[in-house]
Amino acid sequence: MSTTVLAQETNNFLLPNATFFAELFGFLLILFVFWRYIIPPLSKSLRERQDMVQKQVEDAEEAQRKLKQAEQRYDQALAEARTEAAKIRDSARADSERIREELREQAKAEVERIRQRGEEQLATQRDQVVRQLRGELGGLALQLAERLVGQHLANDDHQRATVDAFLAELDAAPSDKAGERASSAAASRRAG
Amino acid sequence: MISTATNELANPANPAGGLVLAAEEIKPGEHWTAELFGLTFNVDTILGTLIAGAIVCGLGLYMASRATAGRPSKLQLLFEMLVSWVREQIQDGMGVRAPRGVVELCMTLFVFILIANWLAVLPSENVIPPPTADVNLVYPMALLVIVWVNVAGIRHKGAKHYFAHFTEPYAFLAPIEVITQYFSRPVSLALRLFGNIFAGGVMIGVIGQLPFYVLWLPNMAWKLFDMFIGAIQALIFTLLAIIYFSEAVGSDDEAAAH
Repeated sequence: MSTTVLAQETNNFLLPNATFFAELFGFLLILFVFWRYIIPPLSKSLRERQDMVQKQVEDAEEAQRKLKQAEQRYDQALAEARTEAAKIRDSARADSERIREELREQAKAEVERIRQRGEEQLATQRDQVVRQLRGELGGLALQLAERLVGQHLANDDHQRATVDAFLAELDAAPSDKAGERASSAAASRRAG
Repeated sequence: MISTATNELANPANPAGGLVLAAEEIKPGEHWTAELFGLTFNVDTILGTLIAGAIVCGLGLYMASRATAGRPSKLQLLFEMLVSWVREQIQDGMGVRAPRGVVELCMTLFVFILIANWLAVLPSENVIPPPTADVNLVYPMALLVIVWVNVAGIRHKGAKHYFAHFTEPYAFLAPIEVITQYFSRPVSLALRLFGNIFAGGVMIGVIGQLPFYVLWLPNMAWKLFDMFIGAIQALIFTLLAIIYFSEAVGSDDEAAAH
């Protein structure tokens, strides 16, 4: 294998020589390497990337959809909760109104009952006092009458009228002051 | 010195020889060669192809071994961008009719040609020029594309229909169509790439004639521009391949419209 600088007069650089076949073989070799080993993994990764991007886009759309759904659900739940709260508030207000009314009624009834009992008690006491006074006044009147006999014995009618008037006066007087009146009346009568 | 160089390197096959070969260092179309089994091989071109192929395959395999869908590296993103772009171009041209392997072929063409062209930027361009500056690389690539295009067209439409469409819309234009299909296109596809990259090397040679204290600026500027040219040529080669494929397998309307 000898290497020489080509200096032939007849050489034309537009004409190929045997290098042609070497270059053809070399290029086919490079083509083979590209075809067999370089382009397929490249295409595969490109395809995978496209799939990945597509999947990501789909996922994003899905997420968007889910988010919208969740927002709708949230809004719905919020509205429901608001309605519920309003309902509860209304019912609570109604309850409180009712309870207040009930309590007021109860209190009124109690007051009424207490007043009634007080009145009854008072009436009972008055009756009692009247009864007592009546019992005692009979005696007192007799005593008084006996004492006054000296002055009024002459007239039986006068005596009876005097007692009756006295009793009638007692009857007419209010129970709490009956005794006092009776005694004052008796005193005035005694004085008279 | 200049006169001797002219005498030595005067080349009747090179129409521009009188001007370009005025300098000793500019030797367009010369290669380090090796003889094997009586055949001549251009060692520098083969080395350049090996280096470009090693870079392209190494990066590709390194990327492919770590390819993930989740967190791709920048290298993977770069490859994905390229393959997506190629696939998009093919989808635009052919839709679902895209023949099997066209994506792989066009991706390989673009990446390999790009890296091969960019070898011109290395300061080693005198020792290992970009392999695309040798017709021995661009001819087989163009040949491969044209053969593949025809095979894809015949497989897609059937031989009878495929060759019949050469005679449409006018049968008397069929010879022109055949010449276009089987001569003009492969030759222009190959020589466009070759010419651009080869001219880049010649420009570097011409700039190399400048005194060393001014040479660095145009050299740097030209190499940047050469990178741009290399990218554009890789793009054009790939796009034209895609266009030829879409014509071969495309609908009759699209085929007639060209």
